[in-house]
Amino acid sequence: MSLALNAIGLKKNYEGIPVVNGISFDIKPGECVGILGPNGAGKTTTIKMIYGQVIPTAGELLVLGLNTKKDITQIRSRIGVVPQEDCLDTDFSALENLLLFARYHNMDSDLAHAQAEHLLAEMKLSEFKHKQVEALSGGMKRRLAIARALIHKPQFILMDEPTTGLDPQARLWIWNYFERLKANNTTLVLTTHYMEEAERLCDRIIMIDHGVILDQGTAKELIERHIGLEVIELSVGSEKGYWLSKVEQAGLKFQEYEEKLFIFFETSELKQSFIGNIQNTHYYVRSANLNDVFLKLAGYQIREKS
Amino acid sequence: MYNVWLRNFLFFRKTFMVSLFWTTLEPLMFLGAFGFGFGHYISSIEGMSFLQFYFAGLLCTTSMMVAYFEATYPNYTKMTHQKTYAAMLLTPVSTQQIFFGEMLWAATKGFLGVLGVFLISSLFGLFNPNFFVVAPILFLLSLVFASFGMIMISIAKNYDSFVFSTSGVIVPLSMISGTYFSLEEIPYYLKTVAYIFPLAHAVRLVRTVLYRELGLFDLVHIAVLLAYLVIFSMIGQRLFTKKLVN
Repeated sequence: MSLALNAIGLKKNYEGIPVVNGISFDIKPGECVGILGPNGAGKTTTIKMIYGQVIPTAGELLVLGLNTKKDITQIRSRIGVVPQEDCLDTDFSALENLLLFARYHNMDSDLAHAQAEHLLAEMKLSEFKHKQVEALSGGMKRRLAIARALIHKPQFILMDEPTTGLDPQARLWIWNYFERLKANNTTLVLTTHYMEEAERLCDRIIMIDHGVILDQGTAKELIERHIGLEVIELSVGSEKGYWLSKVEQAGLKFQEYEEKLFIFFETSELKQSFIGNIQNTHYYVRSANLNDVFLKLAGYQIREKS
Repeated sequence: MYNVWLRNFLFFRKTFMVSLFWTTLEPLMFLGAFGFGFGHYISSIEGMSFLQFYFAGLLCTTSMMVAYFEATYPNYTKMTHQKTYAAMLLTPVSTQQIFFGEMLWAATKGFLGVLGVFLISSLFGLFNPNFFVVAPILFLLSLVFASFGMIMISIAKNYDSFVFSTSGVIVPLSMISGTYFSLEEIPYYLKTVAYIFPLAHAVRLVRTVLYRELGLFDLVHIAVLLAYLVIFSMIGQRLFTKKLVN
């Protein structure tokens, strides 16, 4: 089976500074892939290269077997995109937004109406269809942007931070909807900051930072490879030196964060025996998760959006 | 391209009353003040009444102004805050199609302004059957200034940037292109300066078609307008694409 996406040595420089620095990855049809990374990692630039709003400085990018350099119009007619900012047309109502998009896709008018009404019902927006976009809530706008991306029934969907800024209910609803799309064998590529989202939805995760791929695999593989099974968060305070030597002696993997140590254990037995050493220090035991992998690979420092 | 044009037409349908006010009523106020008011004190100019003389100029400045303003402020909003073009580019619509669709719409709006001015002023005795001959020339003029507006939105840093093109180009052109006074009666070098720009050619041509005998030399005016259109569109389309896709 041919690949849904094939990126080879993809590079993008802005004023000589690499934002995406030679990344290569594949996406199979029907796969749900999450691109994870901190602010400024190159996620949005990568996504924009896929739908042709950013032209790569170097490298090859094939989407559904078509080259983004030559066939971007054809690519856009076959993929659906939910951009980071909804980019809804505020001069029009919800229904009109969908119908306009159907026109841009050169869809037949009857088919466009039927598909727009169907998607509005699916997105629980039917009763707001004549409302101007500005009057809709953040969650509704997002659902409308998703409906808009689906108007021409694409089999490949790109979503740039689809649930950022939404409340937990709206997020949960969107996750459920994405699961339905997945069950329908739609190829999904999404960027996200939310580890839970990536862990829950994505068959495979590509972690990027400073424009390069740090690692990729399933959430389980990444957690096992970089962290292990369980984590102890130890509040070491002023005794950091003492605890560091202890952890190093035991040959354990760990990360330092201010007055805390995150100690990673591959088995419960190792964890139990380490807990035996702790007497007057506060600690917290939990399962290893994707957040640990993310912080370990991307670092703990705060990234401001530029 | 048609779908981009249509998007604007559908929006226009919702807001045409506001549009009508500034595209048609504003020029008519000028016609009242200068044509009927000021013109009352002038017996003749270039062998015609000042009202006729000014009416030809007004049709051209309306065509220029409306197309230019339609191509700049609303389109800059669509390009930046509203992200309408970014959304269009999620579909098979290309930057070229957006560029020419928007240009065509701005020119359509310019022409609608001209049509409004013509229809209403016809009620005041200014009807001229040759209007149907000048209509394509006025549409061509709208296209020229729509493409100029599209260049401006592609290089603008913010809304203030349009002050340069409006106060530095559009308003001076409306003054020096033979709209209010005859270019035949000013020093030769000033006349040459006026004819460097497209508006003077359009004014001259429209006035000739409406009230004088058309000569073969008048085709030069059309050639100049077409040349401006081709050059502005080529430059504009490149700058516009560069601004949206990089």
